[in-house]
Amino acid sequence: MKQTSAHIPRRDPAQVMRLSRLGSLHQCRLSFMRQLTRRMARENWNFIRPVFDIDENGVGHAVYTAQAPDHAYSLVAFAHDLPPEQRSDRVIAEAWDATFALFDGIPTEQDIQRLSENVPLQEAGRVSENELSLSRANRSVRLWAHVVDRLAAGQQPDLEQIYKVGYLMRTTAVYGSGKFGAADREKTANRPELQAPFQTEMLSVYLTRTFVRDLVQHMARVKGGDQTAELAPEIGQWLGIGNSTGLGMAPFIVNHPVLFNNWIMVREEALAQVRSLPTASDSEAQQFRDIFERCKLSMSWWRSEHPIQIEKLSALNADLSAISDYLDQDDLTRYHPWERLIQWSETTLSEEGQELLASLVLEPYGDLVDGLTECMADGNAQAQIIDGAMTVAQTRALIRDRFDWALSLDWSDEANCARAWYVSEEKLEPRLGERFEEPISDFEQPLAPARDAAAAFAELSNWRDEAPIAEFLLHHPEHRHTIRRAQIGRIAPYGEIHDNTISSSVMPIDMLRAKLSFFGATHFDPRSDRWVRICMYSGAPYPEDLTTETADLWVYPELEE
Amino acid sequence: MNISLNEVEATAKRATRGAGYSWGLAEEAAKATRWLCARGQNGTGALARLLQMVMADAPKQRAPTDLSGDWHSDELLCPLVTGALLSDCAIRVNSSAITMSNVAVPVLLLPFAANAARLLDTRVTIECDGIIAETDGLDLTLNGPIPDQAKHVSVHLGGRLANAVPHHTRAEPSPTDWSTLNRFAQNTYAPATEESRLRGAGAGLSDND
Repeated sequence: MKQTSAHIPRRDPAQVMRLSRLGSLHQCRLSFMRQLTRRMARENWNFIRPVFDIDENGVGHAVYTAQAPDHAYSLVAFAHDLPPEQRSDRVIAEAWDATFALFDGIPTEQDIQRLSENVPLQEAGRVSENELSLSRANRSVRLWAHVVDRLAAGQQPDLEQIYKVGYLMRTTAVYGSGKFGAADREKTANRPELQAPFQTEMLSVYLTRTFVRDLVQHMARVKGGDQTAELAPEIGQWLGIGNSTGLGMAPFIVNHPVLFNNWIMVREEALAQVRSLPTASDSEAQQFRDIFERCKLSMSWWRSEHPIQIEKLSALNADLSAISDYLDQDDLTRYHPWERLIQWSETTLSEEGQELLASLVLEPYGDLVDGLTECMADGNAQAQIIDGAMTVAQTRALIRDRFDWALSLDWSDEANCARAWYVSEEKLEPRLGERFEEPISDFEQPLAPARDAAAAFAELSNWRDEAPIAEFLLHHPEHRHTIRRAQIGRIAPYGEIHDNTISSSVMPIDMLRAKLSFFGATHFDPRSDRWVRICMYSGAPYPEDLTTETADLWVYPELEE
Repeated sequence: MNISLNEVEATAKRATRGAGYSWGLAEEAAKATRWLCARGQNGTGALARLLQMVMADAPKQRAPTDLSGDWHSDELLCPLVTGALLSDCAIRVNSSAITMSNVAVPVLLLPFAANAARLLDTRVTIECDGIIAETDGLDLTLNGPIPDQAKHVSVHLGGRLANAVPHHTRAEPSPTDWSTLNRFAQNTYAPATEESRLRGAGAGLSDND
């Protein structure tokens, strides 16, 4: 029996929601990929590949079907022969090495014909209510060539090369939720397997990974003929799927405050519950130690050439050895072991190390925390409706609660509003520009909640306390989005970033990492302050190896005996 | 055209902003348009018609001047501004009907009456020149087509909600309306420049690695 004495509260949003901390988050057992692999194993999903029709140039299509208890989902994959000069991970790209749709059910030949005329065009095509997602991927040119050449020569690829890159292909967009004609989330949100956030997209990527493995084997066989080696499972396991992502994810977490709150709050609640445990059993303590050792191995494969991440990795490596020292001196079973560990981390480690521990201490406690994942979706449409009867004084208090730090900032100082988020007419790519250097402010998106909160707060000071906010809004429609957010804050304490998203020093990659960590991504590799590559499913079992034993902890590599 | 409701919402939001409304009202317009389309009503057509009336230029003249009696203005009332106000003043419907005069594209008031119904957890009836609509926030009944413009509108508690219109998962806007909305949405996009292309997204120049 686990005893929870509920006296450790969730961490304060003012601590958790700083951008530098959000930009230090790590995957954990609540992450969307791990939720999916556990479910697929638990429910014993069946996987088949009814079509694999790819020619010797690597061009053609394939279908991978995942059969869940009540629904089937099929990845329809198109492989292309892409000239290198067209290989770009940007949204503005117009061709890719491979393109995909996740079909709701089992596609007919007519469906595949229709998809073949649209999916390769991505944003320029249309999909239908029968499709749940639309995506594309580009090869990692070097690793692809290495794996094909080695297998074709009858040899296995070099694991060091695989660890360095992590994937054979990286997705450059995975569109769900009604984009480009696909089914709205409402179509599937009540299916148990797709209720949690981004399960559709995670399933699409999981099947994509299998396709990519099969494709590289096929291309090796084309090249090597009879002497070609079969990719060894213990090596293929470390091929994940990459993702290369720009600014599109940053607006997402600002535009979905309730959803983002639910992710953060569930992790914080899980952490608070574990911290509240007065003792841990020997086996729980041992489990933690094992996971930590395995995690260290995975971290040792994490490479980045970006100066900021290099610095963070060096701090993280120092953190890892400090944690090792701590673990040498504490048996982790008595006197609120996890609470002491977390408190120690807050005084000793960098934010990378602190957040790593906050994720890792959840690992021995699946029974305690996994059920919380049911609260990660956003089913509360009513939160968007403004309560116009709220008084001006109450609204002011809500804004002060959430944005106290922003009210004293000098918003006329150029450094505090140096940037502006906008959408380019080029394929509607989200971008971040210099407000005082580029003609973009007329196109600014409402992605600076702190600045807007300060402006609304200042205007509210001219109004009498007891006036209903409805009256204020009638005269100030320009503050309507801000008042809505302030009221949403009542149910979403972790819905607002506690930092300035338009300051001259903002690091958009922090916002990207926060979102990607909840997907379950690893090995964050920034390419700039607003662009990041990551790895997904590296270490995960392929469908034929997916069991309840392999479905959960795959993210942590097994140590060699 | 067969469009997802998410596309309806995203396009309606950009179009409304592109027509000069505030972001907050654009969000309202987006939800309202989606709500109508999800109940088989021509929400995209209604929004396209409204945006072409260029009401955002003088918002004060398109909003009720006095909230104590009948809501009216010297000009036609804008249904987004007035609808948002109706939703914000939902609690008043509990004590007496809200009436208004001379409203443009009054079908756009229905989603806001639906907000009121949800906030009050009750049924709300909205009467536009004799046409009666009822909603509990989720379902909608109509006894005829809502006129393009209404002389008298009354919003009050109650309704039987018999024979609700069926829910729809897709919208089928006319190509003309859809392109009107996209034309307005275009105003929110920054022109493509080489500088923006290079600086704004922050990606590397080559991905052949």
